[in-house]
Amino acid sequence: MSTLTATAPAPPAAALVPACPGFSRATLAFARRELRDAVTSRWFPLYTIGFAVLAMATSFMALAGSGSMGFAGFGRTAAGLLNLVMLIVPLMAMTAGATSIAGERERGTLLYLLAQPVSPREILLGKFLGLSIALCASVCIGFSLSAAVLAWKAGGTGVGSFLMLVAMTCLLTVVMLSVGLLISVCTRKASVATGVAVFTWLAFVFLSDLGLMAGTIVFKLRVQELFTLAMLNPIQAYKMSVVNGLNASLDVLGPAGAYASRHYGSALPWMLLGVLTAWGALSLTLASVIFTRKSPA
Amino acid sequence: MARAVIAILTLIMLARVGIGTPDPIQTTDAISTLIDNAQPGAAIAVPPGIYYGSLRITKTVALDGQGSVIIDAGSQGTVVEILAPGVTFRGFTIRASGDRVDREPAGIRVLAPDATIEDCVLEDVLFGIDLKGASNSIIQRNTISGKDLKPGRRGDAIRLWWSHGCIVEDNHVSAARDMVFWYSEDLSVRRNTVELSRYGLHFMYSHNTTLSENTLRGNSVGIYLMYSNNITLTSNTIVNNRGSSGYAIGLKDCDNIVVRSNALLANRVGLYIDNSPSSVDSTGAIENNFIAYNEVGALITPNTHDNIFTGNGFIENEEQVGVHGRGDLTLNHFSKDGRGNFWSDYAGFDHDNNGIGDLEYRASSLFESLLAREPNLRLLVHSPAQQAIEFTARALPEMRPDPKFIDPAPLMTPPEVTLATSSSTSPLGMALSAAGLLAGAAGVLTLLGRSPGLPSPPRAPRRSRT
Repeated sequence: MSTLTATAPAPPAAALVPACPGFSRATLAFARRELRDAVTSRWFPLYTIGFAVLAMATSFMALAGSGSMGFAGFGRTAAGLLNLVMLIVPLMAMTAGATSIAGERERGTLLYLLAQPVSPREILLGKFLGLSIALCASVCIGFSLSAAVLAWKAGGTGVGSFLMLVAMTCLLTVVMLSVGLLISVCTRKASVATGVAVFTWLAFVFLSDLGLMAGTIVFKLRVQELFTLAMLNPIQAYKMSVVNGLNASLDVLGPAGAYASRHYGSALPWMLLGVLTAWGALSLTLASVIFTRKSPA
Repeated sequence: MARAVIAILTLIMLARVGIGTPDPIQTTDAISTLIDNAQPGAAIAVPPGIYYGSLRITKTVALDGQGSVIIDAGSQGTVVEILAPGVTFRGFTIRASGDRVDREPAGIRVLAPDATIEDCVLEDVLFGIDLKGASNSIIQRNTISGKDLKPGRRGDAIRLWWSHGCIVEDNHVSAARDMVFWYSEDLSVRRNTVELSRYGLHFMYSHNTTLSENTLRGNSVGIYLMYSNNITLTSNTIVNNRGSSGYAIGLKDCDNIVVRSNALLANRVGLYIDNSPSSVDSTGAIENNFIAYNEVGALITPNTHDNIFTGNGFIENEEQVGVHGRGDLTLNHFSKDGRGNFWSDYAGFDHDNNGIGDLEYRASSLFESLLAREPNLRLLVHSPAQQAIEFTARALPEMRPDPKFIDPAPLMTPPEVTLATSSSTSPLGMALSAAGLLAGAAGVLTLLGRSPGLPSPPRAPRRSRT
C-alpha cells in the first residue's frame, strides 16, 4: 500500500473527497479510509471469494437438474441463493461491523482517530459508509458470477427478479452492518464483539425461527401472530420481501403468507421494507448515541 | 406550395377510396337470406366483409367464411346460434357478444347435434363455443379469447353440456374462464392450448374420455377432474399454473384414472389427489410423468388409496410428495412390478447396475411432517432454520418421523418425456447484469479503495492480531 501511495502523485485529501449533502467531508474521508483498509484486509477477499464461490455453485447446482429446459427459470436458483444469502451475508456484515470499532479501541488506534478534529458521530458514519460500500461490492461480485452462470445455463429469464434480489441483499447487508456496529460500540474487545455478533447471528438465523416453530406448535399461534412475529426478524423480513418480489404475493409461504398478501395487499412490500430499514436506522442511531457518550471527547 | 400540398393530399385520399371498398353497412340478415334461399345440405360461401348483428342458423347447411368474414354482434347477446343438426361453420371471425352473466351470451351456441365448428376466431366474447345437447360435434382449430374481465366473471371458452362423442382438438384459448365438460362422455380432447385462464380443462361428471397432448400454461389450475371416471390423461404439458389452488392436475373422486407421460412443471402443486379413486375396487395409475420444479410435486389427501405410482420422475420439487392433512400415504403404492419412481433427492446407490436403487426411498422429512401438522409453518420455508431441522433429523435418527411412504425400488434415471420447447430468451440481459455488477463493484473498489483519503493508522498491530 505504501508503495502505491508513494508512486502515485498524491493530491490533497480534501480535493479527492467531493462535498456531499448529508455527510460531512470528514465522514467521507473516514469512509474512504475504511474502504481502503477493508480492501487490503484479510477478511474482505476471504468473504468475497467465499461468497462468490458459494453463489456460483448454488446457481450451477440449481440449474444442473433442469438442463437447458429453462422451465425452472430463475425461481429455483433464487430459492438456493436466498438460503445462501440468509446464512452468509448477516454473518459477514455483522462480524465486519462488530470488529471495526471494537478492534480499533483494542488496538488503541481509536484514540488516534478521536484526537482528530472530528466528532465521534462522523467517525461512526464514515466507518458505516466505507464498510457498506466494501460489503455491497463484495456481495455484487458474488452475484455477478452467479448471473454469469445463469446467463450461460438458463438464458435471460428473470433479469428484473435477479436485480431485485441483488438490491434487497445490499439492503440486508447494510442493515446487518448497522447491527454489527451497534455491537461494536458496546464492547471493548474485538474478540468479545465477534462472539456477540456470532451469537446474534445465531439468534436471527436459527433461534428465532426455531422458537417460532415451537411456538406455533405448542401455543397454536394464529396466522397473524405468526406473521407479525416472523416479520420482526430482519432476516425473515428480507426473505419475505424477496419472495414477494419474485411471486408478486406471499401465497408460496402457506396460509400465513396468503393471509399477509390478502390482508395487507399492496402495502405489504413497503411494510417489509420498513421493518428492514427500521432495524438498520435504529441500530445505527443507537450506536451513534452510545459511541458519542462513551467517547472521551 | 400550398397548392402542391393540397394536390398531394387529394391524391392520397383518392387512392384510399380506391383501395378500400366502401362497404355499405351489412347486417347478418344478408347471411340469413343466403341460408333461406339454399337447399338443406347446401354449401354456402359467404362473401367477405363485416356483418353486424347476430345470426340464427335453423337449416342444415355448411357455411364457409373462408377466413375473411367477420360477424360483430355489437356487444349484444349471443353472436351465432346453431339450432339445426349437422351444421358446418367454418372460417369466420366472431366478435363482441354481450357480457351479461345471467343470459350467458356466447360467440357460438350450438343446441343441435352433429355440428362442425372449425377454423373460427372468436374475440371479445363472454362464452366462446357453448354446446348444449350437441352430441357428435367437432370443434377444431378455433382461436378463442375472452373479454377483459376478472377470471371468475368471464365465461367458459368452450363448454360442453350433455354432448357425447365430441371431438375438441387443436383449439387455442386465452384469457377465458374454463374449458369445461359437463355430463359429456366419450370425448376426444387433444392438442388444445389454454393459457391465462382459470381452469384449463375442467371435467364434471364426464366419463370415458382421453385427454392428450394438451398444453396448459399460466392458468389458475391446469386440468381438474371431478366425479368423472375412466379418464386417461397422456402427454399433456402443464406449466406454471399457480392460482390459489394452482394444481397442474387435480383429481377429485374419480375412479379408474390413468395419468401417463405428462410433464407437470413449475406449478404450485403438480398432481393433487383428493379421494381418487373413491370406489373400493378401482385404482389410479400414475405412470412415467415428469413432475418437476413444483412447490409440491404430488399433494395427496391421507384417505386416498390404491393409486399406483411407477416410472415417474419427481425432480427438484420443493416438497416431492406432500400429505394434505395428517396421516401417511401407505394405502398407495409407489412401485409396480419392481419398478418405482425417480426421486431427485434419492441418496442411495445402484451397485448391481440394474437401474434400480439398492436402498429404498423413504419419504421422511421432519420439516415436512411439521408442515403437515401445522401448515402455517410454511411461512418459514427457504430459511436456514429449515435446513437445521432436516440436519437434526438426519443426525439423530430418533428425531426422524415415520416415512409418509416408501418407494422400495427407486429408479436411477428419470423418464423420457417429450416436452414442448420452452421459449428461451436471449441471455444478453443477464450477461449485461453480470458484467454491470462486476464492473460496478470493481470500479468502486479500485477508484475509492486505492486512492489516499486520510492516512491510515500504523498497520503493524493489525497485521499481528488479525
